[in-house]
Amino acid sequence: MPKIRVMPTLLFKEVGLVKGVGFDSWRRVGSAMQAVKVYNMREVDELVYLDVTATTDKRPPDFESVDELADECFMPLTVGGGVRTVEDVRRLLQVGADKVAVNTAAVENPAVIREMAQRFGSQCVVVSIDARRRADGTHEVYTHSGTVATRKDPVSLAQEVEALGAGEILLTSIERDGTMTGYDVELTRRVSDAVSIPVIASGGAGTYAHMAEVLRDGRASAVAAASMFHFTEQTPLEAKRYLREQGFRVRL
Amino acid sequence: MIKYCRRCIMPETKPDLFIDAEEVCSACRSFERRKEVDWDARKLELESVLGRYRSKNGSNYDCIVPVSGGKDSTFQALRMLELGMNPLCVTATTDHLSDLGRRNIENLKKRGVDYIEITTNPVVRRTINRLALTQVGDISWPEHVTIFTVPIRVAVQFNIPLIIWGENPQNEYGGPAAASDNSVLTRRWLEEFGGLLGLRVSDLFGQERIELKHLIQYTYPSDDELKRVGVTGLFLGYYLPWDGYGNALYAQAHGFETYHKAVEGSLVNYENLDNVQTGIHDYFKFLKYGFGRATDLACMHIRRGRLSRADALEMVKAHDGKFPWVYLGYPIADVLKEIGMTLEEFQRVCDRFTNKKLFVCDSRGNLTKDKDGNLTKVNDDNT
Amino acid sequence: MKTVAVVDYGMCNLDSVRRAVEECGGTPVVTDRAEDLETATHIILPGVGSFRDGMHNLRQRSLDVILREQVVGRQIPFLGICLGMQMLATKGWEGGETDGLGWIDGEVRKLEPVGEDRRIPHIGWNEVNVAGNSPLFDGIGSAKDFYFVHSYHLSCRNERDVLARTSYCGGFVAAVGRGQVFGVQFHPEKSQRAGFQLLRNFLSV
Repeated sequence: MPKIRVMPTLLFKEVGLVKGVGFDSWRRVGSAMQAVKVYNMREVDELVYLDVTATTDKRPPDFESVDELADECFMPLTVGGGVRTVEDVRRLLQVGADKVAVNTAAVENPAVIREMAQRFGSQCVVVSIDARRRADGTHEVYTHSGTVATRKDPVSLAQEVEALGAGEILLTSIERDGTMTGYDVELTRRVSDAVSIPVIASGGAGTYAHMAEVLRDGRASAVAAASMFHFTEQTPLEAKRYLREQGFRVRL
Repeated sequence: MIKYCRRCIMPETKPDLFIDAEEVCSACRSFERRKEVDWDARKLELESVLGRYRSKNGSNYDCIVPVSGGKDSTFQALRMLELGMNPLCVTATTDHLSDLGRRNIENLKKRGVDYIEITTNPVVRRTINRLALTQVGDISWPEHVTIFTVPIRVAVQFNIPLIIWGENPQNEYGGPAAASDNSVLTRRWLEEFGGLLGLRVSDLFGQERIELKHLIQYTYPSDDELKRVGVTGLFLGYYLPWDGYGNALYAQAHGFETYHKAVEGSLVNYENLDNVQTGIHDYFKFLKYGFGRATDLACMHIRRGRLSRADALEMVKAHDGKFPWVYLGYPIADVLKEIGMTLEEFQRVCDRFTNKKLFVCDSRGNLTKDKDGNLTKVNDDNT
Repeated sequence: MKTVAVVDYGMCNLDSVRRAVEECGGTPVVTDRAEDLETATHIILPGVGSFRDGMHNLRQRSLDVILREQVVGRQIPFLGICLGMQMLATKGWEGGETDGLGWIDGEVRKLEPVGEDRRIPHIGWNEVNVAGNSPLFDGIGSAKDFYFVHSYHLSCRNERDVLARTSYCGGFVAAVGRGQVFGVQFHPEKSQRAGFQLLRNFLSV
């Protein structure tokens, strides 16, 4: 296994970074440049940067902002938000993204995933799946920043995009996001067991123990976290130290 | 386009600010709620909390008041004396102390208090100022740290549990001492409250030869030590209808000295008089979020009915966010020389942290600057 | 002065490599022109994408010929990164059978799941175990983590071309070297301290 990755996530809305709870009540948390520089200083494993309103605002990705931030970033960078076409991917890679995350387009136009994978390689294409748990315990995929229900099951969507050539899945639990009460371990396990590409768990991290739990029982290959690193004194480095003590292979 | 509160003129880009459906910001709403506060009851609460900590035999101090010599901390210290407390005043020396700042510190001592000044190694401090400026765009980051760590370390070392702070951003929060179970401060509370922009003291190890031994004063005591002494704190701003201007008048009547004109980039002459680097600190706030010290002050005075929104807009347009060529009469070259940075380097760092979405740029995407290097915001008010 | 030609053949993300070269004290020139390759002191061939597209793009620009002149002929130090390393092979099987540059004997095949190592692409940080004494890994240590993101790997015919291995999917070659020609499967420009040390080592060749 490659080492477990701990990835800080930066959510960008219009002019600066935000954090939300359940994909709502977005709260401003400061300047993107600052956050990127701090994480770069700390040499984190990888950084995820998502523009949360690009699709709902019906606009393309913000290439200029990504360009500026990528210049300060010497670690692997995954960029998402408003990615719809092969051209969007090409431009993002050109300005400095290493991988591109596709969310709404993967549901509305799945064939584009195959095109992207063929053109740039599977390893550049991350499909981001946002899911909400229903009352009966099943899950449903939502697009457009968690606002449009699709009636799709995350497991079958994951398998579908894997077959089309996606290289990785970024799986986010919508209702747990920002709550810092733990990942949706069951959701993660169901998806991880169903595919042979890496799955990044996202949404709900509050403690290092939550990360260990979703890695062990959810069988994720990596963990992403935002609120936990923004609002508490916990850091990616300490997370990895804890995980190593728990027996996971991490890069220290 | 930047959205602004329609009552004051704060932009929604400010972290932790929230503009509601009626286009009024959370700070204005918070101020509105003050009318509903029973200040007499709060004063009684305050006296009750203080009573719990007052020493029985005068053998130790009753509380610590972290002070800078400025209007608020002068007010805080004097108010504690008036309420029958025996405070130990603690100053963590600022980054680049001005002459005026030094005089105000001496004035506070002369009012009749025991006073400790703790000065961190200035050579290391300068290195940290420069690192923080280039890494997070906040030259005053070490100051934000020591303002908390130093008084809290003194609290543990001198066995004085109660710390009296002034204002706090969450106006409804009295502080852990106010809790019925006398909550003790924890490292976690401190890191969250301290708002350290994501940068931690631990990030500094190994940078530019900074070692653990240089960072002693920047380190919080352990949770065990805090618990042993029972270190806790309260915010005076919860118990009194806090007003910076009122504090300034009070302090001035007790020897506090103001600047001879409105401080550069500000609208007033009675605050931020001690740290010459503050001009740079406030400028970076403008670059990142589109508002500076003038906006902060204008909003405070609008809420208290001293300024109309229209006048405030005009004043802010004239003074907010100007390139900090001079601060308290000290030219920027002097300030930059102390931290070993050239003007060109400084300008590059400024550009890097500027949120270009907030300012006018030319067709090639470069920031448009006037002859003095000042930027222009894309919009100064809602359209 | 080290002028490093970073070959632009339309296979993206040249910026990270360019900036990394700068950080390591080189002067990068992102180019596809013969003149620049002729005057460079070092050549880096980066690349992300399929073997077939990569070779096609090189051939279209006659870069395969120009590179052969510089690297095999003039013996300029050369570093292939990721796809750039894979294209050193005799042939590759991604997207159909395609001839590579042929400077390292071997073939490029897809990683196959082995036991618990079942997730492909291989994405993330992994240990690079150095075999022997190459100047490329000077001062780096034998099991440092580097960043990988690939589904294919170069299977070498000759053991002496293998500079390092990583144990994933049964083990694969992480770095190759023959003379002044080097290839690394991982991304040194994304591997922070260890990666930059490797780049500096390469620039000292």
